[in-house]
Amino acid sequence: MKFKDGIKERNIIVKCGADMFLPFALLFGIYIILFGTVSPGGGFQGGVMVASAALLLYLGYGYKTTNKVINTEVLRINESSGAILYVLLGMAGIVLGANFAKNVFADLGNFGDLISAGTITFMGWTVGWKVLTGVSFLLLLLLGLLAPDLDEEDDEEEEVAE
Amino acid sequence: MKAKKIVALISCVVILAAGVVAVVYGYNYFRATNIEVTQNSDGTYKYSRIEPDSVVDIIVEKDVAEAKAVNNVAAIVFDFRGFDTLGESFILLTAIAGSFVILARNKKVKKEDKTDEV
Repeated sequence: MKFKDGIKERNIIVKCGADMFLPFALLFGIYIILFGTVSPGGGFQGGVMVASAALLLYLGYGYKTTNKVINTEVLRINESSGAILYVLLGMAGIVLGANFAKNVFADLGNFGDLISAGTITFMGWTVGWKVLTGVSFLLLLLLGLLAPDLDEEDDEEEEVAE
Repeated sequence: MKAKKIVALISCVVILAAGVVAVVYGYNYFRATNIEVTQNSDGTYKYSRIEPDSVVDIIVEKDVAEAKAVNNVAAIVFDFRGFDTLGESFILLTAIAGSFVILARNKKVKKEDKTDEV
């Protein structure tokens, strides 16, 4: 930790590590969400992996920058909309005369395509979107408790790893 | 406010009536008297631990025939056990909503508390 005018600066190795691993976390998580029906993985796992990008941002740049970059209100709204979309896609089975979450669009494309699983693919995407926004919102909420008051002490930043 | 209460009452009554109708008419439909449980598996002797692939064959057959997903786990999670996934995601939703209610920063309340303490 450097000291510059009485303000603790963040270590450059942590910052560069966050810069390096953030795009990989985003790309790998989004790949796992999108290809959940073709390859191992799914919505929950990929969503948590994408949410780790918010944690990397916090580790590199502190709570103030993370709170500026990511709008938590949008995350909160998108989580609820993901849950509603999941319910609507499951209700498609009831509307077309079958059980809840029945795979009614099962004959899309060839067997083994990305969309060939029908509603399974889309429900996986909605669950991934819901978990992505929800877990990152929860992480930012919990990290906000560690941060000092934004109004009173604007100059101080939170130390992460001691 | 009265209009909202009346609308909520009417919707509750409609949902209750739909549930009662579904129970009354669906009781005979879902009794499962004419269904053979073992028709998909050629007898229960296939559910043995000695042959490791016996249950896997049944799962893959059902999956390929009905769900048409390459990943069997995704087919089970999102199709055959769709209600389970619904409950899991709503557990996450309620947990995050509850922690938001408790942990959200309310700056006005904090300042009032500080002035009270002084």
